Amino acid sequence: MGKIPPSFRSAIGNPNIRNPSSLFRPQPPSSPSKPPSLKKQSPKPIPKPNPIFKSPNLEDAKKIFDSIANSSKDPRFPNSLLHSYAKIAASTTDSVKFLHHITKTLPSFSPDRSTFHILLSHSCANPNSNSNSSSNSAISAIHQTLNSMHAAGVTPDAATADVAIRALCSAGHLDHAIELVNEFASKHCLPDTYTFNFLVKHLCKARALSSVYDFIDEMREKFGVKPDLVTYTILIDNVCNGKNLREAMRLVSVLHEEGFKPDCFVYNTIMKGYCVLSRGSEAIEVYNKMKEEGVEPDLVTYNTLIFGLSKSGRVVEAKKLLRVMAEKGYFPDEVTYTTLMNGMCRKGEVLAALALLGEMEGKGCSPNECTYNTLLHGLCKARLLEKAIEFYGVIKEGGLKFDTASYGTFVRALCRDGRVAEAYEVFDYAVESKSLTDVAAYSTLESTLKWLKKAKEQGLAV
Amino acid sequence: MLPQGIKKAITDNPKKLANLIDLVNLPSTLREFVGQSQISRLGCFMCVWSYIKTKNLQDPYNKNVVNCDDKLKSILLGKPQVDLAELPALIKMHFPKEPK
Repeated sequence: MGKIPPSFRSAIGNPNIRNPSSLFRPQPPSSPSKPPSLKKQSPKPIPKPNPIFKSPNLEDAKKIFDSIANSSKDPRFPNSLLHSYAKIAASTTDSVKFLHHITKTLPSFSPDRSTFHILLSHSCANPNSNSNSSSNSAISAIHQTLNSMHAAGVTPDAATADVAIRALCSAGHLDHAIELVNEFASKHCLPDTYTFNFLVKHLCKARALSSVYDFIDEMREKFGVKPDLVTYTILIDNVCNGKNLREAMRLVSVLHEEGFKPDCFVYNTIMKGYCVLSRGSEAIEVYNKMKEEGVEPDLVTYNTLIFGLSKSGRVVEAKKLLRVMAEKGYFPDEVTYTTLMNGMCRKGEVLAALALLGEMEGKGCSPNECTYNTLLHGLCKARLLEKAIEFYGVIKEGGLKFDTASYGTFVRALCRDGRVAEAYEVFDYAVESKSLTDVAAYSTLESTLKWLKKAKEQGLAV
Repeated sequence: MLPQGIKKAITDNPKKLANLIDLVNLPSTLREFVGQSQISRLGCFMCVWSYIKTKNLQDPYNKNVVNCDDKLKSILLGKPQVDLAELPALIKMHFPKEPK
């Protein structure tokens, strides 16, 4: 327990969400099924039940293209075909050759910027490039595309940079991404805020903080690209996740110096930092400051606060907050209720938590996996085994998963009660539902039984 | 929680994990039972437990107890009845610690 439910985390951790870029964003290579929508110039590829190109072989693809080349008068038709082929092509060279073939066969078609964006976005998602040399081949694929873009007389713009950087970052080639940003900034155009923030976010995940700062400083000094409020939110979120609140506070003061006014997202992030460290009072302070500054709290603010207060054992206040948020017109969601139940369970008020479950369901908010796990854990801790078994039934029926904590507690509770067979059954379910790895599930069971033997010898258990 | 938990288990005690999942050459008694010449301790447990389940060897009146059939007896010290609680310990006996 004591974790932030995933739904909650993503809401805070991804400040980019509220600024959907107007630019074309390539999908990460892991989800090739969804065609990225190219705004403005290109339509969504015609939905087809079967992909046209089934093999990465260039000659096959050319043949298929020849057979359907004149079937559509839509000027965007060749782009769609190129996109379909690039998705499965073995290398960028093949894709480029395919493009040449298109231009040769259809003289009326001249590749535009979006054509090359398609090539770029697929340059790094190449299935053959996952070896050690992949890093170099990825950047050379990007350069190859950029060169042919140049040859076709199309100048790269900020969107081009964005597409290329995203492709590189998603494939994990951060060094090359930085290189490319520098190259773009000195040769063509400056990266826009979306590109910049995307890169910063990826750097934060993979690199030491100092190198992220170096990058930001370098961009500022060399090209005058300044971090914006979103950049700071990303940075603050990152240091908060590393429990480095002193650095977070420093960043907040820098933010003020730079003349930014913190918004709801910045406050939420700082609050989360405090809450994770069980520092409820500081979180409340941030909340009050936020209200003073006239920033309107949102659902995430309340959820964070309830989480923090529950975690530091101030359930009564957390409950009050539930009322406050209802007054402000925010409806508590399953995350709110689950965090509050978590707090109640910690306090040993499991029955109150159960009552809250009733209230939650009465209001039409359906409990999720995390809710049931929280309650299961709480019930076991409170030695209400029968009730816990009931909840296990619900979990099993719904095909839900255990979390590590509730599984361990439940197994221990069953064994303590001498119901080893049932503990084995729970172990089976944990393995079957893939809640835990086999190793984790078995280690828990084994150590519990070992403990049980000891307890029996000392006359402590049944 | 889950990835952290596993990570912790591994970083805390890599050896413990290793002796759970490393393949071990089996003594002949066990070899007959599992039908393989090598298995990990975890795999062996899974094998025995699923054997108990498919053969319905749990005592109908007290599910915590397993009434061993001959095959099971041969690997569990010849006991006619085995408590489920001691099953992991009994299996562990076949996997002695490697001398340093």
